[in-house]
Amino acid sequence: MPPDRTIRHVAVIGGGVVAHSAAAALRRRTPWIAVTLVPTPIDPAALADTMMPTLPSIHGFHADLRLSDQDTVARSGSALRLGTRFVGWAAHDYVHAYGAYGQALGSTPFHLQWLRLARAGQALPFDHYAPAALLARRGHTSGLPEGVAETGLQLDLPRYAAMLAALVRHCGVRVVPEGIAGVDRRADGGIDAVITADGTRCTADLFIDAAGPASPLRPAGDGDWDDWSAGPGCDRMIRVTGPATAVVPPCDTVTAFAAGWHWSAATASHAEHGICYASRWCDDDTAAQVLAGACGIMPGAAPVVLRPGTRRTPWRGNCVAIGDAATAIEPLEWTNLHLAHSAIDRIIAMLPDCACDAVELAEYNRQTLAEVTRVRDFVLLHYAACHRDDHFWQAAAGAPLPPSLAHTLALFRDRGRLPVYAEETFARDSWLAVLLGQGEAPARLDPLAQATPLPLVAQTIQAMGAALAAALPAVSPSAALAAQSGPMPR
Amino acid sequence: MERHDPVRVVIIGGGTAGWMTAAALARLLGHACTVHLIESEQIGIVGVGEATLPQMRAFNARLGIAEADFMAWTRGTFKLGIEFRDWGKIGDSYIHPFGTFGRGRGEVDFHHYWARLRALGVPVRPLEDYSFACAMARANRFAIPASDPAAIASTFGYAYHFDATLFAPYLRALAESAGVRRTEGEVVAVARDGASGDIAQLTLRSGETVAGDLFVDCSGFRSLLLGEALGEPWQDWSHWLPADRAVAMPCRSQGELTPYTSAIAMPAGWRWRIPLQHRTGNGYVYASAFLPDDRAADALQAAIEGAPIAPPRPLRFRAGRRQRSWVNNCVAIGLASGFLEPLESTSIHLVQAAISQLVELFPARRVSPIERDEFNRLVDYEYDRIRDFLILHYHATTRRDSPFWDYVRTMPIPDSLAEKIDLFRRRGRVVKHREGVFMDASWIAVYVGQGIVPQGHDPRADAVDAADLAASLHRLHDEIRTTVAAAPLHAAHIRATCAMPDAA
Repeated sequence: MPPDRTIRHVAVIGGGVVAHSAAAALRRRTPWIAVTLVPTPIDPAALADTMMPTLPSIHGFHADLRLSDQDTVARSGSALRLGTRFVGWAAHDYVHAYGAYGQALGSTPFHLQWLRLARAGQALPFDHYAPAALLARRGHTSGLPEGVAETGLQLDLPRYAAMLAALVRHCGVRVVPEGIAGVDRRADGGIDAVITADGTRCTADLFIDAAGPASPLRPAGDGDWDDWSAGPGCDRMIRVTGPATAVVPPCDTVTAFAAGWHWSAATASHAEHGICYASRWCDDDTAAQVLAGACGIMPGAAPVVLRPGTRRTPWRGNCVAIGDAATAIEPLEWTNLHLAHSAIDRIIAMLPDCACDAVELAEYNRQTLAEVTRVRDFVLLHYAACHRDDHFWQAAAGAPLPPSLAHTLALFRDRGRLPVYAEETFARDSWLAVLLGQGEAPARLDPLAQATPLPLVAQTIQAMGAALAAALPAVSPSAALAAQSGPMPR
Repeated sequence: MERHDPVRVVIIGGGTAGWMTAAALARLLGHACTVHLIESEQIGIVGVGEATLPQMRAFNARLGIAEADFMAWTRGTFKLGIEFRDWGKIGDSYIHPFGTFGRGRGEVDFHHYWARLRALGVPVRPLEDYSFACAMARANRFAIPASDPAAIASTFGYAYHFDATLFAPYLRALAESAGVRRTEGEVVAVARDGASGDIAQLTLRSGETVAGDLFVDCSGFRSLLLGEALGEPWQDWSHWLPADRAVAMPCRSQGELTPYTSAIAMPAGWRWRIPLQHRTGNGYVYASAFLPDDRAADALQAAIEGAPIAPPRPLRFRAGRRQRSWVNNCVAIGLASGFLEPLESTSIHLVQAAISQLVELFPARRVSPIERDEFNRLVDYEYDRIRDFLILHYHATTRRDSPFWDYVRTMPIPDSLAEKIDLFRRRGRVVKHREGVFMDASWIAVYVGQGIVPQGHDPRADAVDAADLAASLHRLHDEIRTTVAAAPLHAAHIRATCAMPDAA
């Protein structure tokens, strides 16, 4: 028998949700692995550790940890979220929810028929055909028919983090005192041990750097960073916490302003408001004023600096970077924790042995980079498809795009189709929700869709819209009030 | 309000590719285009691509072709996979199934458990004994997949073998009833627009001119429009796939009707065996640099099982493709766009995949470069993946019995394939694909079937007690065996559901 090279000991570095999630997932799913957690202070720029809204993929991650909704929603105070309401991005606001928008007519996708009807002036807005989006507009979180949509979570972060910390201890993770004093490297560049603040030497077969943008286990300036800061988007963020609203809203709200966007998200216990902006177009005081104007709270803390970009090889030798240590992307569409979860799943599914053979790492890195590239495309889509006339937005809409996004937009603008790439986080209907929500329309109608006569399409889609409107609960008083107040100021 | 002038589509060539394209466009886009097909009876059709992949079923369904009718008309049989004989070494035999190993449902792929037991020295059966599709194929039985996803009899798909010379007329009838116009004639001149370079019209030998907006080149190896008129460069792959000839010779069927294609390795290539209702198709695909033509025909004749029913028919080709399949207003489909030997039955699949993309990306009267780029991106993806998969069959061998096998065993292979092989050899990992042709089980079948056994396995496979694991493999094999035994023989299933008319 060859010597046993199975990975039996992993050290996870980091003090936030990402590090705790990684440690717990390894104990639950690869129980022969001993896990040491080396906590580090949480960096406010570590968005995967600090953003409240999550994508629906978190439920599958929880299921693998054997956490139930009872644990994550009821016990830790999280709320279900149906999606995001986008205000000020286009002439009308729209809801990006997770689930189907309409139903296919025969073999043609719904949106190709909707486009015909919209051109004829006979269609409701696209999101009125998505059960979850319409429910959110009506101010409800529950009442969806089974299986038509997925929900994300609005995390009550202090309680959620405490629950994960308890789970980590319950799973038998060894937690050492906080802080890193040094890293012992091997001659080949791999890591021998992490020295903690109290001088403990933590050896392991594999090290996971989940310590945020500082990425303490990866040598600075190792030439691996793909810098996105020249592209459109935001590089500063300010957040404030406020009191809970009377009713927990079914979705968060993301509002465009002259030089970026601000958001509101809430659980039963509190609300969070924040603003992301481009420092080139907006100074910190102005941003603070805009945020205060939107939520009524003047922020006190200094802005967080965002440095958008990604590692091309997040896994090198016996060290893999995840979360903000691997990819820093602005929080629009709340992808940060999703990318971290996906990395943890991928580490487990592709676990090598102690040799961390280059062939295996290359495949991990290839898949990870393909996923990150399309997530970045989806975030950039919001800028590329926004037609506001402020300088910032004009510059963003005119900026050169990465080839995969340029091709996606070109194909959609030509004929309403979308190309599919190998690693997609967001489903076709999510791309459509944003594109059609922001008023994009293809130059021409799809010939295949035109096999069905327009009057028949009109009848079918109008019946679909009416049936959905009748099946969902009526507009809640809070949603009615919000609608009366009109769109948010620009 | 939505009315447009219909796009005038002109298809050159009336083989399988031409009539499949015509039928699909007329059926699905009859409201948006007119279809005019030009074929010459002077030019024969290649039509040896008689074995297909499961994706063919979706294509037929979309065109409204009923399976039983199609099978009876084309003398079709069912296909559960491909048997490869003598590839890794002489005496080997494995099946590449259209199905999974194990149930295909666990978090860890079945072959990791299998590899672990092997590494422990626990006796296990060959991997294919744990595949329902393989077991049913070996037993010469066939039944339609079960609908309950928990049933072992649901873990496979199937394709067809059929007589391609009967398929084209079948499609022609369908296409003509849907309004396709057919002209008998030979193209002698191609006129292009000076400014755009688009094809404007074709002149036939009769003097007739045919104008169009979109030209579909289904002219076979000649590639009359894309290759000759537009001069799209050829990407040669013959250094990886050196076979450049085939000789075909059908024979009377002997023995039980197999529900699979056979690909039997030969000293300078390989031999196909395709069971049909009325005969067995045979052919020897070989590299002319390693074997003279007359010896190939003799070798084939000596190898086939029954009396020949036609003289040997020679074919010539080159492995490779045109750099782009869609250039200007001309789309090449089938052999006019490229050629990959039929080792994995991909000829008709490539035709069908191109047609499906053309239907989805059907242009207006003026072609937009964006839809053309997307079409080419998707076609590239299919070609490259199939190319690597084919090369794997030649490269993963220990055969040293002929100069041909010495060449393919030691030739440099594409980096994209070398990486895939290394990844599997290291720990049984298979590069995951979202969709399309040849998913995980296909690659696993060929790797393992040709002697690339993983050195390691997914460590999660160690989490189960080895004795329990061995017992569950044993139970799985029993379940497969008893379920297969209850299925009808392939020949009986055909007699009961889709026999050709003259046999009824």
